[in-house]
Amino acid sequence: MNNPYVPETATILDIREEASGQRPIKTFKVALTDGRDFNHQPGQCAMVGILGIGESMISIASSPTKKGYLEFSIMRLGKVTSALHACEAGDTITIRGPYGNGFPVHDWKGKNIITVGGGIGQAPLRPIIQYILDNRNDFGTLDVIYGARTSQDLCFKQEILELEKCDDVKIHLSIDVGEPDWTRFVGFVPTNLMQVKPSPENAIAITCGPVVMIKYVIKNLLALEFSDTQIFTTLENRMKCGIGKCGRCNVGSLYVCKDGPVFAYATLKNLPEY
Amino acid sequence: MSALILPKDRLTDFLLLLHEYTLWAPVQRDTVTLFEVIKDPKDSPVDLEHQASLAKRSIFPQSEELFSFDQSGILNDASKEGSRENIIFGIRPCDARSFRIMDPVFEGTMPDPYYLNRRQRTVLVGIACREPFANCFCTSLGGSPFSQEGLDLILTELDGRFFVEVLSEKGKEIVEKTASVFTPASAEDGKQREDLAKRSEGAIKRKVDLEGITEKLNGIFEHPVWKQMASKCTACGICTYTCPTCYCFDMQDETTLRKGRRVRNWDSCMFAEYTLHASGHNPRPTRAERLRNRIYHKFKFNVDNFGTFGCVGCGRCISLCPFNVDLIENLSTIKSLA
Repeated sequence: MNNPYVPETATILDIREEASGQRPIKTFKVALTDGRDFNHQPGQCAMVGILGIGESMISIASSPTKKGYLEFSIMRLGKVTSALHACEAGDTITIRGPYGNGFPVHDWKGKNIITVGGGIGQAPLRPIIQYILDNRNDFGTLDVIYGARTSQDLCFKQEILELEKCDDVKIHLSIDVGEPDWTRFVGFVPTNLMQVKPSPENAIAITCGPVVMIKYVIKNLLALEFSDTQIFTTLENRMKCGIGKCGRCNVGSLYVCKDGPVFAYATLKNLPEY
Repeated sequence: MSALILPKDRLTDFLLLLHEYTLWAPVQRDTVTLFEVIKDPKDSPVDLEHQASLAKRSIFPQSEELFSFDQSGILNDASKEGSRENIIFGIRPCDARSFRIMDPVFEGTMPDPYYLNRRQRTVLVGIACREPFANCFCTSLGGSPFSQEGLDLILTELDGRFFVEVLSEKGKEIVEKTASVFTPASAEDGKQREDLAKRSEGAIKRKVDLEGITEKLNGIFEHPVWKQMASKCTACGICTYTCPTCYCFDMQDETTLRKGRRVRNWDSCMFAEYTLHASGHNPRPTRAERLRNRIYHKFKFNVDNFGTFGCVGCGRCISLCPFNVDLIENLSTIKSLA
């Protein structure tokens, strides 16, 4: 019997600072020590840890089309993420996974895709964007709606701005409160969504961010006449085992670690506690 | 298979003959009776009078090492360590059933080697409940004081002797190894056992009709009743620790200067920290949401996921609760809601 609790080791190849200030975020580029491919799907997660500190479930921020490495964008908040932020390139960490269901990207062929992210919630949406760009002919238009509290909190800023040069990608950035040099939308992400007003025609909308943002984004998508099966989100909860046994991450009878983290709104709306 | 008789004064001899096994048995510790590993049955009298708790820790320990490590990496995987076969002697029929409820959690697409290896290497020697305890309600959950489900052997105490029934291959092996302590049972012994079983089942006072409870729970998630029920709960967690079907666990790293180990410990859904996010957000911030989750887990979520209630009706959560939170009353209240 394989032991699902014993992690593999991985080496940190590179660390990039995404956001500074009170809510620092770093992106860790890592490779499994044995050189093996991680074989994940966009939207899946992994237990990232340090022996002697513990593990946290982190969404994989890179697409499986990017071979030879994985990326995790991590906000410094608790014990494990603080220890990870203290790491340097070359350090060894541990990985278990991939876990969870991932986004049904194969069902989305030919669709127009809209991602709606808030803060660190952009991390699980990033592999979808990369996946679409690496399989560009399989998808229709791509709209990236993304906001954060301040311009300092926006992740992946350079690469998102780089995307604006593509004719077939539209970028819609926002911050909650105005800043002197900010020329784009000011206001909350759900409000920006109503400004952008994407058409539900042949479209899929995927949202991730703080719980309250997700609720309002879904409300607004429904107002824009997106159906329950056109709206997807990815959830998080405190986790320990990552494999549906330790009990704590349930939303109703489903476990975020194993049955999620990706849920169609058609499923989500029937879950108590969401 | 024919039944046997174990004279009461040969019980210690029976247990001594099982020395090649790690022997778990109920022993009295201060005011409670708990399952513990017995080194020598002569020194630790087995307590078959009281309702012993924590049989589950023989297969799912309260704290166990998953693996150890040092600065060079992971040193050993504790699931690969061989250990002796376990016997749980004196387990109650409800507790034997409880393993069947926990099994599918630890099986599944990612089987848990720690639990499953130990489960495979464990023999369950049950004791039928001649007298039900005050809060027993196993008959409301499809069990009975003489249920043989999941057991390898079952003993029924008659006057001065135990009536022993062999229920599995594992059980057969045990009685073969200890054949010298048994005498054949008579038809009269069998009849006495039948009479006791009927009397005991009839002596169960507490009952709750669970027909339709899962459907009922579908509609009352936001009901104020949860706050009322939780108002006397202090979230001490005793209900979950002594529950034979509660399996939730935490994982922690314990380290010294050069070495460490990852352990898993029983956790409780009644604790605030259980679901607390690093951000400070808690999806179950008060005792009301936590008590609600516990009842939903046992009477709806477990049904949705595995087709059975996550409760065997042992009543320990009622007997041991310091504030008289009464599961049977709560279930009856839920059933009576319009």
